[in-house]
Amino acid sequence: MKTRSITIYVNGEAYSLNVAVNRTLLQVLREDLGMPDTKYGCGTGECGACTVLIDGKKSILACLSLAVLMDGAKITTVAGLETEGKLHPVQEAFVNEGAIQCGYCTPGMVMKSVSILAKYPKPTEEDIRRELEGNICRCTGYVKIVQAIQKAGDALASTC
Amino acid sequence: MSEFSVIGKRLPKVDAQEKVVGRSVFAADLDLPGMLYGKIVRCLKYAHAKVTKLDLSEAAKVPGVVKVLAPGDVSSKEYNTGVLDLLVPMGDLADQYLFTGWVKHQGDAIAGIIAKTEEAAERAAEKVIVEYEPLPVYLTAEESMKPDAIQFHPEKPGNRACTLPDQMPNNAYGWGDVDEAFKNADIIVEDTFYVPKVKQCQMEPHAYVALYDDRGRLNCWTSTQMPKLVQAKLSRFFNLPMNQVKINQTTVGGGFGSRLGMVAEPETCAMAMAVRGRPVKVQYLREEDWIASESRHPGKYWMKMGFKNDGTPVACDAKFISYKGGYYTHGSGVVFTTGSWLIGMYKFGACRYKGETYYTNQAPSGAYRGYGNPQTNWAMEQMVDRACAKLGIDPVEWRLKWHKAVGDDSSILGMPYKSCGLDACLNEGAETFGWKEKRQRYANQLGAKRRGIGVAVMNHCSNASPFLLEHTACTIKMNQDATAEVISNCSDLGTGGHTALQQIAAESLGLRMEDVHMKVQDSDAAGFDIGAHASRTVHMGGWAIIEAAEKVKATILERAAKHFEINVEDLVINDKKIHPKGSPDLFIEMKTICDQGISNFVDFSTGKTIGVPGQIVEHSSHFAAHNAPPFAATFVEVEVDTETGELKLIEAVTAHDIGRAIHPPSVEGQLEGGFQQGAGMAMMEETYYDKNGLCLNSNFTDYKMLGPSDMPKVKIILVEEPDPVSPYGAKSCGESGLVTPTGAVANAVFNAIGVQISEGPITPEKILMAIKEKDGAF
Repeated sequence: MKTRSITIYVNGEAYSLNVAVNRTLLQVLREDLGMPDTKYGCGTGECGACTVLIDGKKSILACLSLAVLMDGAKITTVAGLETEGKLHPVQEAFVNEGAIQCGYCTPGMVMKSVSILAKYPKPTEEDIRRELEGNICRCTGYVKIVQAIQKAGDALASTC
Repeated sequence: MSEFSVIGKRLPKVDAQEKVVGRSVFAADLDLPGMLYGKIVRCLKYAHAKVTKLDLSEAAKVPGVVKVLAPGDVSSKEYNTGVLDLLVPMGDLADQYLFTGWVKHQGDAIAGIIAKTEEAAERAAEKVIVEYEPLPVYLTAEESMKPDAIQFHPEKPGNRACTLPDQMPNNAYGWGDVDEAFKNADIIVEDTFYVPKVKQCQMEPHAYVALYDDRGRLNCWTSTQMPKLVQAKLSRFFNLPMNQVKINQTTVGGGFGSRLGMVAEPETCAMAMAVRGRPVKVQYLREEDWIASESRHPGKYWMKMGFKNDGTPVACDAKFISYKGGYYTHGSGVVFTTGSWLIGMYKFGACRYKGETYYTNQAPSGAYRGYGNPQTNWAMEQMVDRACAKLGIDPVEWRLKWHKAVGDDSSILGMPYKSCGLDACLNEGAETFGWKEKRQRYANQLGAKRRGIGVAVMNHCSNASPFLLEHTACTIKMNQDATAEVISNCSDLGTGGHTALQQIAAESLGLRMEDVHMKVQDSDAAGFDIGAHASRTVHMGGWAIIEAAEKVKATILERAAKHFEINVEDLVINDKKIHPKGSPDLFIEMKTICDQGISNFVDFSTGKTIGVPGQIVEHSSHFAAHNAPPFAATFVEVEVDTETGELKLIEAVTAHDIGRAIHPPSVEGQLEGGFQQGAGMAMMEETYYDKNGLCLNSNFTDYKMLGPSDMPKVKIILVEEPDPVSPYGAKSCGESGLVTPTGAVANAVFNAIGVQISEGPITPEKILMAIKEKDGAF
């Protein structure tokens, strides 16, 4: 398998790696960089558990992203959302609204939520539910997740 | 002003912080020094076959491969992945093997590969040379029970894995003489319902790490729901003393019964035994989940009910014939409990339930949230509504009149209900939902889109007694500063169990939440616990904690009594201080007593030690004295497009008889999540197979589940009528949420289109067929 040298920026830090061309971003994060906060849920882009952000706001599925195509990309994972130990408003809302049960979908769900609020600063409930399709949760029925995103949206809007 | 300090508070879950920053450790996240990767090689080509040739020599040569395992390597013993064999002496069958020469379902394990990288293991799996002799495939009980069918196991003639025990007259559960009673019926309704094979689909794929270390200890990291039972099973299987088996329960990424016992711990541990000193990690691919882990029991549920014209239910006769899949696992469980929930619901004049389960060539049916109750709800609630429609009786009114209540025999005949909040659930639920108003509004509809409303009720349990062993131990250890270590093996599957137990510990010890640490997930540290099933965690974990806490307080009071030189009865504990009644300023702090017990320094002026010596450590071993069945009612409004068959959920209200909500957000969360699964079972979830028994939809695209846009508005009502035999009055909620949506959605569809669909799930295709058969006339 051919390899290529890439540099990716994850949560603000640069990593230079030599990766096989068929390696996914998910494999690079979890195995090469020792960052298990981004999860494997299906490996086929159907569940959203591996959602991360490009440039702080666009969501992508790490299991379907080839690492070599991420050369130069600025990636944020859920572990990089905190700023100086303070939770991101989306994380805060998830905790306070009871939107976390088993926690396995949470990293991807939180990252997706951040991207939704970046795209829709004042989302309707319909916007949220439509945009969340593709991030599967089997514990919550999405009820408190949607409530958390609404609360986070209000919190973010009030700081503008 | 609440009577409690922490019970009932909407505080954040104790594990929320680590989960929201992605730092909680799931088994797949573990990276241990020297770790190897195990691949379970599965038969994917056939659902039923004998292995006629297995050659692992080419696989062994792949660079990076450390060892290959064939059937009989490490162990050729049988085992059972379920847990009932440890909980009741029913003669559960151990019919599973690490690697088999007789494939009984697609996905059955035929060999194992241990390699330095996952990729090497995968490449080696491709090099396994295997030849099969295909055998006839049986996908239903009707097929496998035929006299000429291949017998799956010599001890199970006719492929009947289990029926109700011989101790029950005619292998039936119930009361009265149904055949006689039916003679008094004015109307009889009868049908056979099909329950689909639905899957838990927990978000965390199964993953394990095992290490057979240099002290001869087998260490296994697993998200099993039942760590102490798995410890016992692995100990027996590998012939190791129990103190040489350590279960580290990792964060459980959803259970729902998929981990009610073992999944691939045996194979992973066998691989570890084969490479002593090296950890081995085994990770399931998502597509393996449907074919190599257990599902709900599907099957055919026949039911017949007889009523008088005034609605009096004179008799109910029922039989559930389920498909067991390839192995026995929970065979003796669901076959019985399905009927017990039916038994516990209504005041039939006579009632009879029979259950049987037959081997088939699919992944085994095991445990899934509700454990027979959703199957019963699906059939029972539709039958009741069929009768109500014929008799012109309001379905809510009928249920209010005829549900069992306090003093009536519960699902356990001979044990009456001690509490029942179902009237409040039905009344408050109907009010909030707008039942009466909607019934009128939707009585005469025109147009292609039709609205319908439905209701369903249920009873469940708060532990598995008296049918199964119910035992939980707890140790509470007090530190010098009067903070407490509560040591328990109770599981939290994401349910909020650990949070609720910490609240119970804090409340019963008179401490703040932050003064209590739950030492959990470590089979060395804690005493016995069964694990998370039968919605037992708050009831059994709670009582064990309360009993140990009472002993801690008693010891503290005794020592305080010595200090004050007065009687224990004249003392009060409040805010971590102990003082004589009426003299709050004259106190000794809890931490002083705890510290003196540990330090017990000598007072040089007197030459005597200060305080009573002995670290305060108290233990309880709680066996269930009671069960505490919760009740619930769910109301659903649907919209059916009679031209496309599309079924949309508009609104749902679930009123749950919780007794007391220890942690309200978790109770709501359990009911909301349960709704997604129950409605999914009614509307769209099913594992499909082709005629050769190969799974057609082992992926999230084709196994349809309700997504965020499919969920209706969901309102949860918590009816809090404290139960007299439960910790702080709390009954269970873990499984209940999934049960009533199955019947309620079906009944709403019936109300919308005037036809019942007895074959689940209710897909658009089936709706159109049903309307067509009814000539589309309204």
